[in-house]
Parts: sequence; structure tokens; C-alpha cells
Amino acid sequence: GRRHTAVQQMARRSICSSARRQVENKVPQKQKMFQEDNGMPIHLKGGSSDALLYRATMVLTVLGVGFTLYELVKASFPQKKD
Amino acid sequence: MAHQAHAYHMVDPSPWPLTGAVAALLMTSGLAIWMHFHTMTLMSLGLILLLLTMYQWWRDIIREGTFQGHHTPPVQKGLRYGMILFITSEVFFFLGFFWAFYHSSLAPTPELGGCWPPTGITTLNPFEVPLLNTAVLLASGVTVTWAHHSIMEGQRKQAIQSLTLTILLGFYFTALQAMEYYEAPFTIADGVYGSTFFVATGFHGLHVIIGSTFLAVCLLRQAQYHFTSDHHFGFEAAAWYWHFVDVVWLFLYISIYWWGS
Repeated sequence: GRRHTAVQQMARRSICSSARRQVENKVPQKQKMFQEDNGMPIHLKGGSSDALLYRATMVLTVLGVGFTLYELVKASFPQKKD
Repeated sequence: MAHQAHAYHMVDPSPWPLTGAVAALLMTSGLAIWMHFHTMTLMSLGLILLLLTMYQWWRDIIREGTFQGHHTPPVQKGLRYGMILFITSEVFFFLGFFWAFYHSSLAPTPELGGCWPPTGITTLNPFEVPLLNTAVLLASGVTVTWAHHSIMEGQRKQAIQSLTLTILLGFYFTALQAMEYYEAPFTIADGVYGSTFFVATGFHGLHVIIGSTFLAVCLLRQAQYHFTSDHHFGFEAAAWYWHFVDVVWLFLYISIYWWGS
């Protein structure tokens, strides 16, 4: 009867709430952080991890150009095999 | 802080176009070096730089739109034009490979036996895995539309479920196609049949992977509350791209798998 339905409803509710944790809406926080008037360009405005990733990318960029020029010059002068 | 008197987006100076261009340099030179000297270092470095560029550039666009509010209606209109023009350019890309297929298959040379499929080629049965693949992609077109309507109606859970299903169908297609490639009785080196088959379907498969990745990013963004019921252009762009991938497959199926068998 009614008691049976109440137990069923309670069981369903407790299963639902423990099955997964809710993802929190962090958009308002992010909006505040990225709209702060601190003069930082967008690619660095997220903090120190932005700067780290940027620096790593730039190092690869500069090294990459150097390495390419080296390989292309090397390839332009065929090595004579004895 | 100075405020703009217009609705357009004056972008901050960014290093990503430079790093992207260098990535292109490294990948192309690296390809040439790999072909002549068998070392993959330069090409791999280029690929890593490309991935870093894509991640940071698109991350910045999300910041500019979702967190800073720069994607006003006129800006969004520009983004729409941009995506449409990009997809149009991809249509032309595939048109070339279809041109190659029809060129070779409508007038098969004596070297092929004067027939299509060429003598000695065992084609794939279009009513087996290729037909399943067609059903999978058509179904994914339905689920992505379901996801769109869920987003527009503010149904968060349904949007996540239908978007996840779409991505899973995309993975299923890729897995089935990979298996077909492995089991195929012909290779890319089997004359013009092999070339047209694997280049056309291969580039299509790459686009399925790209499209699935784009949708997966949208899934992450939907879960993080980035999309609102009337502003979710990133998702719409992904859905347009996905429909384009589906239509290319339909043309491939009809032309190469069915008519060409």
C-alpha cells in the first residue's frame, strides 16, 4: 500500500544522490577572473600555468626553427660515403 | 578601463598564429626529412607544436567568448560565416578525390582489364559492414540533433546523454572502419582502385576522428555549464561539421562502395 511506495521512493532517492557527484558551475568565478582589469593578455590571464605552457611552447618554437634550418642545410650538402 | 563604442571584438595580441606557422614549417620539412633520412624527430616536434597551438588558441577563444562576453551577435555572425566557409573548403577538398575516383572508374583503362572494379580486385560487400557504418552515422545525426534540442530547451542531463551517445557512435564507426581496413582483401598499393578507395575513405575517417574530438570538447563544455539555451555556437559548429562528415560518407557509400562494386 502507501508504506510500500514510500520505501520504494526513499530507496530510489538515496541511490540517485550517491551514484554521482554533481559538477559545480564555476562559470561565474571564471567570468570574474577573466574580466579583472589587470592588463594581462588572454593567453596569460589564467595564471602561472598559462605562463608555463606559453614558455614551453615558445621554447619548442625557437628550437624548432633552428633545428629545421640545421636539417635543411645538412640535407642540401650530400654526405659522401667512403 | 577604456570601453569600446562598438559590438565587435578587438582581439588581444596572440602568439598562437606564429607558433602554428612554425608547426606547419616543422611538419612539412619534417615530412621531407623523414622520407629521405628515415628520422621522425622534426615531424614529431611539429606535431607536438601543432597540438600545443590548437589547445591554447581554442582555450583562449573559449575564454574570450564564455568568460569575457566578447561573442556578441555580430561577432557570432562572423564566426558562423567562418565555419560555413571552412566546411565549404572541405567540401572542395573531398570533391577532388571524388573527381579522381570517377575519372578512373567511368573509363577504366586496358591495364585494369577495361572494367570496374578492375580485374583481380575483390571488393567489399556494400551490404555488410559498410551498410552498418551508414546506419551508425545516420543514427549519430539523429542523436546530435537530439542534443541540440536538449541544449535549447535547457535539459542539461538529456543534452549530456545524447551528446555522449553521438560520440560513442562516432567511435563505433571508427572501430568498424579500422577493422574493415585490416581485413580488406586489397591495399592502397593495388592500382588506382586501392588508391582512390583508401585515400577517399582514409581522409573521411580522419574527419570522423576530428569531428568526434570536437564533439567531445563540446561535451566537456556542456558539463561545465558553458552553453546556455540561446548561446551555444561552439556546439552548433561541431554539429554542422558532424553532419558534413555524415554526408561525405553517404556519397562515399553510394559511389565507391555500392556503384563501384
